[in-house]
Amino acid sequence: MAESVAITSMAVASAYGHGCDALLHGVLSGKPAFAPVTRFDVSARRVGVAAALAGAPSLRTLLEEVIGQACNGEPVDNLHLAIHGEPARGHFAGRLFPLARTYTSACVAASQAVADAASSIAHGFATRAVVAAGYLVEPDQFALFDAGRALAADEAVRPFSLGRKGILLGDGVAAIVLEAGSAATRKPLGWVRGWGRAGDAYHVVQPRPDGSGLARAVESALRKAAITPLELGYVNAHGSGSAQSDVAEANALRLAGAADVPVSSTKSLHGQSLEASPLVELITTVLAMREGQLPATAGFLQADPECPVNLIVDEPLAAKPRYALSLNSAFGGANTALIVGAP
Amino acid sequence: MITLAESHWPLSDVDTVPALAGFVESSFSPLAAEVARRCLGSATPKPGPATAVIIVSSTGDLATARATARAVDTRGRLGPLLFFQAVPNAVAGYIAAKWNLQGPVVCLSPAEPDLADGFAVADLLFRDGDANQALIISVEQAQAEGERDTARAVLVKGAV
Repeated sequence: MAESVAITSMAVASAYGHGCDALLHGVLSGKPAFAPVTRFDVSARRVGVAAALAGAPSLRTLLEEVIGQACNGEPVDNLHLAIHGEPARGHFAGRLFPLARTYTSACVAASQAVADAASSIAHGFATRAVVAAGYLVEPDQFALFDAGRALAADEAVRPFSLGRKGILLGDGVAAIVLEAGSAATRKPLGWVRGWGRAGDAYHVVQPRPDGSGLARAVESALRKAAITPLELGYVNAHGSGSAQSDVAEANALRLAGAADVPVSSTKSLHGQSLEASPLVELITTVLAMREGQLPATAGFLQADPECPVNLIVDEPLAAKPRYALSLNSAFGGANTALIVGAP
Repeated sequence: MITLAESHWPLSDVDTVPALAGFVESSFSPLAAEVARRCLGSATPKPGPATAVIIVSSTGDLATARATARAVDTRGRLGPLLFFQAVPNAVAGYIAAKWNLQGPVVCLSPAEPDLADGFAVADLLFRDGDANQALIISVEQAQAEGERDTARAVLVKGAV
């Protein structure tokens, strides 16, 4: 695998507002973006908050906005898209951008899109790819997560903490441009140095408790990056804030030899954007590395002995890691690991 | 890409699909599990653990989405089972666990029924060493009266 993969452009909209600056300042503020949902009626739900942009924006419009910003006049070709289809509402996922390859693998869709786009460049099939992803909080998924008792009843996300109650949803719409390092037309913001995907082969929705599936994804990414876990300086965790998932992830970090690396889960701040969340978190990771400030995890109450991770809490950690790991897991035991290299 | 085994649904006008415990209201997941069973049941040898499960569907789980939307619009009760089956990853996880397929779980949605994206993703997984075989499953649900669901499963390995 000869070709390196540069991230040369990024654009994002989240509950913190439009643009990378808004996202970075939001997560470094340590103040979660959750607020009462006004976009639709939640009076019949157990939980009534989410991290949402103002009003009721259109997913297509916001995707076109971030893709346009990321491409900045260059062609939108080789588009890898991660979205949640709403076929009952007339929105079939694959028809939004018919020429894209559209990923619908729940909470790892966008990281799989990044991995495949990077792989196609690394193997010489393309010199450029656009990865875009979007989820806007809407009534059907909100109702499903509420019915499944997956939403945090105390209306806070507390990854890896004792007393964590679950997830909260958040808007996330993002796009990045990947280019072959030898052909990059713009200065890299960071590098996609490694990627790995692996399955748990364990359960319909629960993660394998020992974390071995996610650990294999990390090991695959480390092999491609040709680094050891000791060279990682930051982990942007999946960190959903759900009881079982956080334990499995802590076990995975231990199995992969990364138990001591500083960890945060920015889902505690910008929320869980389902198919799009990994791209929001990858952008957050690149922004934090460039800023030299690693975000703190919000909602922390007390250390959970079952989650022995080196969690960043209270305030951002000043650091300039050369390499960072972005992790994601999803229903069906789907796991991904992306390794970002500093420019 | 070399095809090792393949199956379809329906195989006849009277073909049926068994219920799948834990999945309700929609044929999507039972169909995926059934074509996987037929495909892997006919494969010799059986796939090893480094096998990916890739589900490709232009419709997605339309029936589950419609049941959810109906409950939301009428302020009806939503059961937790609909939450657990709401994304195609769920049945992919069922199939992966049943057959011990520890490769990646990937779900794709082309604009029209077509397995091409599934084969392309499988090829990248093979090249990256994240899988050495892939079970690619297509499920397309009927969208209108008189139409019939279709499903297909193909077990493939890389050409090298």
